[in-house]
Amino acid sequence: MSHAAVADMSRRLFLDRMTTGMGGVAIASLLAREAAADAASVAGGPPPKAKQVLQIFCPGAASHIDLWDEKPALEKFDGTPLPGSETEVTFQGKNGNLMKPPWPFMSAGRSGKRISSMLPQMATHVDDIAFLHSMVSRTNTHGPGCIFMNSCFTREGFPSAGAWVSYALGTLNDSLPTYVAIQDVRGEPPNGKANWGNGFLPAKYQGVTMAMQQPLRNLSRPGSISVEEDRETRRFLAEMNRRHAADRAGNEELRARIAAYELAARMQTAAPEVGDLAGETEQTRKLYGTDDRNPLKAAYARNCLLARRMLERGVRYVSLYCASRASAVDGLLNWDAHKTLKSDYDRHLPIFDQPTAGLLTDLKQRGMLDDVLVMWCTEFGRMPTCQEGTTGRDHNPDAFTAWMMGAGVKGGVSHGATDELGRRSVENVVTVYDFYATVLHLLGIDHEKLTHYHNGAARRLTDVHGHVVHDVLA
Amino acid sequence: MRTTTNVLGLALIGLGCVHAAADDGQPGIAFFEQKIRPVLVERCYRCHSLRAEDLAGNLFLDSKAGWEKGGDGGAAVIVPGKPEESLLIKLIRHEKEGREMPPDGDKLSAAQIADFVTWIGMGAPDPRLDGKVEAKRADKTWWSLQPLARVEPSALDGAAGSPPAWQANPVDRFLLEAMRRRELTPSPPADARTLIRRMTYDLHGLPPSIGEVQAFAADHARDPDAAVGRLVDRLLASPRYGEKWGRHWLDVVRFGESNGYERNLIIDDLWPFRDYVIRSFNDDKPFDRFIVEHLAGDVVGKDDPDVEVATAFLVAGPFDDVKNQDPVAKANIRAATLDDVVTAAGGAFLGLTINCARCHNHKFDPIPTEDYYRLRAAFEGVRHARRVVASKEERRQHAEQTADLRKQIADLESQRAKLDALLAERAETELPRLSFPRPKVDPRLTEESFPPQEARFVRMTVLAGTGLGAGSSGRTFGRLTEVEVWTAEERPRNVALASAGGRAEGPRAAQAEDFPDAYGPQFVIDGRLGEQYFIGRPPVLTITLPGVERIGRFTFTNGLAGSDRAEGDFPCEYRIEVSLDGDVWTTVAGSDDREPWSRPHGLERLKRQLATAGERDELDAMDGQLAALRRRLQAVPPLREVWAGVFEQPTQPTHVHRGGDPMKPVDPVAPESLSMLDRVTPSYSLPLDAPEGERRRRLAEWIVSRENPLTPRVLANRVWHYHFGTGIVDTPSDFGYLGGKPTHPELLDFLARHLIGDERQAAAGWRLKPLHRLILNSQAYRQSSAFRPEAARIDKDARFLWRFPPRRATGEEVRDTMLEVSGVLKLEPMGGPGFRLFKLTQNNVCTYFPLDTHGPDTYRRSVYHQSARASVVDVLTDFDFPDIAFAAPKRSNTTSPLQALTLLNHRFVLDMAQAYAARIAASGRPIEEAYRLAYQREPTPAEVDHARPFVAAHGLEAFCRAMLNSNELLTID
Repeated sequence: MSHAAVADMSRRLFLDRMTTGMGGVAIASLLAREAAADAASVAGGPPPKAKQVLQIFCPGAASHIDLWDEKPALEKFDGTPLPGSETEVTFQGKNGNLMKPPWPFMSAGRSGKRISSMLPQMATHVDDIAFLHSMVSRTNTHGPGCIFMNSCFTREGFPSAGAWVSYALGTLNDSLPTYVAIQDVRGEPPNGKANWGNGFLPAKYQGVTMAMQQPLRNLSRPGSISVEEDRETRRFLAEMNRRHAADRAGNEELRARIAAYELAARMQTAAPEVGDLAGETEQTRKLYGTDDRNPLKAAYARNCLLARRMLERGVRYVSLYCASRASAVDGLLNWDAHKTLKSDYDRHLPIFDQPTAGLLTDLKQRGMLDDVLVMWCTEFGRMPTCQEGTTGRDHNPDAFTAWMMGAGVKGGVSHGATDELGRRSVENVVTVYDFYATVLHLLGIDHEKLTHYHNGAARRLTDVHGHVVHDVLA
Repeated sequence: MRTTTNVLGLALIGLGCVHAAADDGQPGIAFFEQKIRPVLVERCYRCHSLRAEDLAGNLFLDSKAGWEKGGDGGAAVIVPGKPEESLLIKLIRHEKEGREMPPDGDKLSAAQIADFVTWIGMGAPDPRLDGKVEAKRADKTWWSLQPLARVEPSALDGAAGSPPAWQANPVDRFLLEAMRRRELTPSPPADARTLIRRMTYDLHGLPPSIGEVQAFAADHARDPDAAVGRLVDRLLASPRYGEKWGRHWLDVVRFGESNGYERNLIIDDLWPFRDYVIRSFNDDKPFDRFIVEHLAGDVVGKDDPDVEVATAFLVAGPFDDVKNQDPVAKANIRAATLDDVVTAAGGAFLGLTINCARCHNHKFDPIPTEDYYRLRAAFEGVRHARRVVASKEERRQHAEQTADLRKQIADLESQRAKLDALLAERAETELPRLSFPRPKVDPRLTEESFPPQEARFVRMTVLAGTGLGAGSSGRTFGRLTEVEVWTAEERPRNVALASAGGRAEGPRAAQAEDFPDAYGPQFVIDGRLGEQYFIGRPPVLTITLPGVERIGRFTFTNGLAGSDRAEGDFPCEYRIEVSLDGDVWTTVAGSDDREPWSRPHGLERLKRQLATAGERDELDAMDGQLAALRRRLQAVPPLREVWAGVFEQPTQPTHVHRGGDPMKPVDPVAPESLSMLDRVTPSYSLPLDAPEGERRRRLAEWIVSRENPLTPRVLANRVWHYHFGTGIVDTPSDFGYLGGKPTHPELLDFLARHLIGDERQAAAGWRLKPLHRLILNSQAYRQSSAFRPEAARIDKDARFLWRFPPRRATGEEVRDTMLEVSGVLKLEPMGGPGFRLFKLTQNNVCTYFPLDTHGPDTYRRSVYHQSARASVVDVLTDFDFPDIAFAAPKRSNTTSPLQALTLLNHRFVLDMAQAYAARIAASGRPIEEAYRLAYQREPTPAEVDHARPFVAAHGLEAFCRAMLNSNELLTID
């Protein structure tokens, strides 16, 4: 660790050692909170606007031109060839003619933002959202695309943005993980755990997976052991460890390990509590749709509610997934509508719309958007043409939409644009590096100063790129 | 932090300045001032001067020293008196594609270019002698690129504060000298128990037995030096050594048994490489040989399986195997695949981050981008795949056993093909003449009516799907979303419906383990046009009606609600049969009179229909014989295939990719030695189209050449790193500018020389065990780990080894220790296929789920666990077992509550506690026995007093659970 490059890294490291683990002992967690509070000055960054992040990720490449980015020319030229790309070969092969979205767009909000009529609930939030319509990716493949959208590298092994943020800002609570990934009930996203991995950062910065359908691993006391025996065993263990540490002054790791057992005990109480929705009102459950007849929608809605409860309890970074990895049938389990876009999205959009909008409404009415930065992501966009011989669309890394809202974000903004047909981002192009430069900026971190030495380079989340998108800042 | 000035480099540059100044003449200077300097200032300084925001190519043109030193490319920028040999002239003339200078704005005018030629012809007089060339980065004078120094430690006899014991071992003398410069003093020796425990973990990754501790303690009391010497020899001779140190090497070479990326498919035949590594460590195979085998085992050990498997090193990294049709994406994937190989080789053997030079010259090290592509040229023919690894004798035997069968099969196949061609010809002639009474099948809905029949069972046998003749999908029988069986009555009822009591059975062509019902036949009778049934093999869908019914109509569809298209293939050749008892079947409908779906389908059908009975018999007979022959062929055990890579001769030369973009190839690059070491290591150069294997063999030989100082330095440092927790250089795979600087440079060179040995006895060189002996017998290794605040104030991390740095056990050590302490560790089989602590599902991609229970068949050493990438394994992952997307030359060491949760609550630990408790219960004094097993010591009376009431109240298992969670178990002093 002698190569850290953040200006005052030595102080951060001191805190790090004192607090080893996700929070550590009482004194350690106080220190960590202090670290969190003045992280901006530690990194010499801009004044922080957001303290927490909620990332909503729709894996499979959710189509920008069918959801967010209206292209009237697509209506007009429906069924005609895309000029100049008759022979273009994309991920799955040849492409057919231009294809208009299966559903009309509609005007929403005071801003009159045009949005798919299949997103009636999301439409109520457009005035708070800053759309980035000119995103570009560096790969046309889901797995590398997802980790690119999460880590700015198409190759595995680099820390995800959530891990970087945990590394930079530390924890905000003393009984839950700092960074949680909530997987969809349908399974892991493409490339799985690499999406919330710590890469070369220490393991404690990795995202911990936890969802309504999947409790924190190894959380529960084994059924064969009574509450009393469990408590007494920990007490006995703590005493043994204290004796052992007493003979070994100067070994902070031993103290940290004792503290980690104490934090684990608090997690055993706090984690089930955060996942217990019994205390939520009927009104709230309805808002999210947690009891919907569609089991996939209800499952996602419950995870949305879990996300709010985690943010309330000080989880720093929550990644919430809506859909999963690829399956033998394209577009069945995720947004990868290669062949039958309409029937695929008829399935996915209702799952997504109400619970997501309900979560945003809830965050807003509770005043949580003062602290929470919300971002919606997918790995890339889709072609304006249909895939040859089908009614679906192939991958398009040259254009897609992402958006942000909440703490520090200017609402009702549409930044950047694709060309007339949505084939390529052309105006104010936003790279994934720019996207995260902006996210870090909002968190009070200069993306060029947050670094970690690894195998020959002072690595950054934004690699050697990235410019803050000032247009979307409030 | 570190000092950034390269003293040696500056000194050389300084000399150059003085020397050059003597040659300068006044008229030349005037020419320079009038013609040259203004152009340099205006057109070059923005990128090539001290004020450049981002110095390009590491080349300064604002001082004479700058151009004399040159840039990253290594070529002389300006050769005084020889304009035609000067790179500068070539670049400003735009003779080098992709490197036209200046890169922005207009080309220099013809007159300006002529001035530069004149000026260089004059000897390039340059008055700018005061310019500094700041070493913001390394050049070829960087410490790690210099030849190994011949150094001996100074004698420290008589000096105050030097314990006499530290005089004997040269390692101690080096260390002591460095300590004295910092006013540090070493610690006293550790006690015998601590030392044997430390050393056993270090060399075996396991605790010693209490018996071993007692024997060593007695021996140590008589003669410590001799006792330690014997202990080291005993530990090094045990096969446990290879299991521990082989694992270190697997970290270094990013060994992982799944391909990573999106699909992350498990690789089940990579373990022979793991066994090869363990075996090589145990045999103390000379490391130069070991490295050559990694890179070219197939060349130097052809037909020797034990050596050939070593090339698995090349293909043991992650690679993307997604089917991508986009040509640009394909090129990028190939580039990324070879980048992994270049990165792995550069890091593991040379300790260099050559991969940083993929897009541009290395920003910090003297590695031009050409060097990256030189290395890539060596690996250009590597393909990630499995190949047969067998001895000559095995190959001969196998050929002998199969040659005859293969010939018979080939003969029969050609005979059959002849008959088939005959039938095809007949079908071709006949097809246009035929008309079919009924239309072709319609995937949206196909209907068959027949005279009413009593039936309890209805089955559909599919003979062909609509994909027939359309490539690989032609083998599928299609998909269905719904099937209906209608009664023959006034108000027909669909009696197939599950809701009416119907049942559907049939094999599926696809599985999704997390959705057990996915793609199953139950979807065809759910009354909805929703999920699809994928018809599997044998393609028979059987519907059991709730009771005997009189039926007259059968319909089937692959339609989707709300869509006018059906996705995927559909049955186009089929037979519908009914039965009352499930035994005797009557055909009621079929597709023979339907118009064929496609021409291939029509031909296929006609071939069958037009054959004479004799021909049909003949075909059947041949098919029968072929099947029998193929079965016999299959019964011959195949030659062993191993995931060790396949090598193909490249058809194109390797090119530099401008900006790392494979779509922008520029100059071709030959398989050659890397220029950064050309001052000390003899170079080699192969032609652009050199034979594939030769490229790798020559590279390997260059890497282990005696004149290459990096390889032994890097290796000796790794050994030190694993013994003491931190290397002399604390970045074991980066010996470049951004890496750590050595705390003890002379010691490192001494160790490196000790490692490669005397050149007159080359055969004895490059062995690790003598190096281990040298280090482990040192006083430095044998000293106490006790904390001393006054020393810690000077050197907190004990980089200067005023104490032995204590450490936490690694993930493997934690798990193996629990198995050992509980008495259930299985040391055999040593090797072979790995065990798994995860369950995996495969549905296009592999997903790995950690197991909640670990059965006794998994109680093997952790090094034998099959390490899939991006998988979570309880205990191992918690305790920093690396994610093997990259090499892990240095593991992190974290403390987290998740470790506590796993050790407290996972079934594995409870099982261990149970076995441990049973083991100590047999002894009369279980608490004492527990301490002996776990910590190899007797408990103090206070500890016994503390434990006794707890055991009385909660039992031995609870006590053992606490012991297995204790810090003392996981801490190695």
